[in-house]
Amino acid sequence: MAALILSAAACGSENNQRVSEGESLSGTELTVYSGRSEEFIGPFFADFESATGINLNVRYGDSAELAAQLLEEGNNSPADIFISQDAGSLGAVAESGMLTTLDAEILNLAPTEYQAKSGAWVGLTARARVFAYDPVKVTELPDSIDDLLDPKWNGKIGIAPTNASFQAFVTALRQLRGEVAAESWLAGIAANNPVAYEKNSMIVEAINAGEIELGLVNHYYIYEVAEALGGEINVKNGFFAVGDPGNLINVSGAGILNTARNSAGAAELIKYLLSNESQNRFVSDTNEYSILLEVPSPQGLPTFADIGTPVVDLDALKDVRLTQEMLVRVGLL
Amino acid sequence: MAGGIAVPRMLQISALFVLFLASIPLGYLLLRAIASGFAAASAVLLREKTVSTLITTVGLAILVALFSAMIGISSAWLIQRTNLPSPGLFLVLGTLALAVPSYVSTYAWIALIPSFAGFAAAVFILSLTTAPYVLLAALASLRRIDATQEESARASGLTASQVARRVIWPQSRPAIFASLLLVMLYVLSDFGAVSLLRVDTFTRVVHTMYKATFDRSAAAVVALILVLLAAILIYVEYKARGSAVAAKSGLGSIRSATRIDLGFKKYLAASYLLIIAIASLGVPIYVLITRFVSVAAEINVSNLVSATIATVSAALSGALLAMLFAIPLGILAARYSGRLSRYAEFGILLTHALPGVVIGLALVALGSRLGFLYQSLPLLAFSYAVLFLAKAVGSIRTSIARVPRVYDDISRSLGNNNWQTIRKITIPIAAPGVITGFLLVLLTAMKELPATLMLRPTGFDTLAIEIWTQTSISQYGQAAPYALILVLVAATPTYLLSRPDRAQSSESRENMTL
Repeated sequence: MAALILSAAACGSENNQRVSEGESLSGTELTVYSGRSEEFIGPFFADFESATGINLNVRYGDSAELAAQLLEEGNNSPADIFISQDAGSLGAVAESGMLTTLDAEILNLAPTEYQAKSGAWVGLTARARVFAYDPVKVTELPDSIDDLLDPKWNGKIGIAPTNASFQAFVTALRQLRGEVAAESWLAGIAANNPVAYEKNSMIVEAINAGEIELGLVNHYYIYEVAEALGGEINVKNGFFAVGDPGNLINVSGAGILNTARNSAGAAELIKYLLSNESQNRFVSDTNEYSILLEVPSPQGLPTFADIGTPVVDLDALKDVRLTQEMLVRVGLL
Repeated sequence: MAGGIAVPRMLQISALFVLFLASIPLGYLLLRAIASGFAAASAVLLREKTVSTLITTVGLAILVALFSAMIGISSAWLIQRTNLPSPGLFLVLGTLALAVPSYVSTYAWIALIPSFAGFAAAVFILSLTTAPYVLLAALASLRRIDATQEESARASGLTASQVARRVIWPQSRPAIFASLLLVMLYVLSDFGAVSLLRVDTFTRVVHTMYKATFDRSAAAVVALILVLLAAILIYVEYKARGSAVAAKSGLGSIRSATRIDLGFKKYLAASYLLIIAIASLGVPIYVLITRFVSVAAEINVSNLVSATIATVSAALSGALLAMLFAIPLGILAARYSGRLSRYAEFGILLTHALPGVVIGLALVALGSRLGFLYQSLPLLAFSYAVLFLAKAVGSIRTSIARVPRVYDDISRSLGNNNWQTIRKITIPIAAPGVITGFLLVLLTAMKELPATLMLRPTGFDTLAIEIWTQTSISQYGQAAPYALILVLVAATPTYLLSRPDRAQSSESRENMTL
């Protein structure tokens, strides 16, 4: 009964979707499933609430776990919008047909390479894969991920094979080099006895503690760990040569559920997060890259053009099953 | 125990109803696994990985049970039967380890030793985490054994070790085996420690499959292997438990055995217990405090308070519901040893071995069809009740089994019917044991994470959720206040668990059991 009343109310608000100010949405509720942590995106949500009068019910969680939950809920999901830490989770939900095609007004805000071809989701921020390293012990920096196969790295590399970000990188590697070459690279890394960690942050902590010398992580973890440990750490970010698969750029992003009761509010939220102001704030507060080309890179980091990101179809990053099977075959999972 | 007495209709109906509710996750798993089809299921099962995972999981469960038994039984014996200095303090310390969630102690050890990982590390952490269960069970049975039995055994010429083997062990065995079963089922279902330590047990594999492939059917097939493993364990324990029931020499009170004088070795014994306490309790608390201080994180007091209230209210309602569910099943298991009670016990224990993520997803599948009930406090409490039903039923069963049957007969001869007997005789006498079970469920529910993540009301963040959120972004300093409060809050029921003798009358001590 309550659901009926709610959905009737939702239909009413959908009719007002074209009101761009969102004034008519004031006082409405919006349920957000957020794979991005409260620490980083919470302040944006708070400001959005006070600017629009829309009340957000935010359910924080792990992106992949929230995606699994959405798939289990199906059409009964209470969620209006899904914000994910990686393209893979968005792709999985989109593939099941649960995400609506976003308005051109939203899709036009972001470069086409950072959104689903189908228009089911759009990127919000970008993050680069890097190698984090100990600047004292590592004097000769690797140019390519292939340099890491050198026996001199035996036992000195940290990876996070169960982590979505590492698996996205391997998926991209398969896309770029083909299955055979990707598997032989993984087998080579496995032969070098890498130390496996559960999370990227643990890799950075291990480098700082002198346990390992280098690790494959996302670029912003060194800032997070430095903050958590309360000061300077002995870890730096390094980039491979231009075009190397190790320089993959992945995105966090958002999609609106087909069954959303407040899809107008959800659209407002995406537009807010893609605004110049929010994008600049992501760069300065969370050290992430903006999805918008005109917003400068985080301080001390090269631009996308300088990194030389390999060309990868982010939509295809959801295909992690073969990646996992490969990781199992080479013994990394 | 002898059957023969007809199971009261009300009891039968309510037991069946609870059993039906508790079997929802298993039913969900079966449906999901069947949906994957035979070919897909065998492809998942016949992977090389399955064999190594099986060896890891079984090996871990056996080794943890062994070490946990060693720590738990030796601590119980030292505390209850020797002139160890301040036994009360060591009892509290030994039990308080229950207040530290396995993911918190694991993280603390990693923070201390970054290379802390792998199988041996998992054996270490999980043995420390589960030893209190064995300690409490062993302690309760030691307390129950009447000194006169031991004295007459000694008088008839048996040595101390013969007394231990022939008098003490047979009477403690059922309770200790039952606690070891819970320990092994816990190892099967633990996620926090094994994932942080990178040990591939079935629960971790199920989790990885859910997370990375979004393939719920394949994960369900793997989860069914877990169910099978649990079934084997439960069967083995059922056979090994034996039918020995602790007997008292009379209906009067139990006299405690005299304590053995260890001489100067009592200090060695004290250091042994102290080392265990440092490993299980000292290290996590030390790391939490230093991490917290090193960042001087601003404490968000209102967040902390609301998370504490959320934790306590959810765990309390979950534990109450679990006890309510457990009453008919506990009475059934203790008093009417028919087929129904055996199947009921079996089914509940199977559910106990399921990873929280499986139970969570099962209730998501069902709950999301329930409209306003979905992601509400009642459904969260219900999930706790299902998750921890085995603990609740176990404690009710043992405490009711300890009420002498003859009381029932006397009650009936006085004209009370079955329900009146249960209400007037059984429940009052069994109450202390029931309270113990309640505290145990309360404590476990406070630390629960995977099901809470999926089923909590949106915005309703418990302490466990806050800790998980903060550690997942490497902000362990920020997680520290939440972890400290959780340990403190969980320490309250834990403390009560360790001190039934102080908190209640000496009469109730006899019935204190797991």
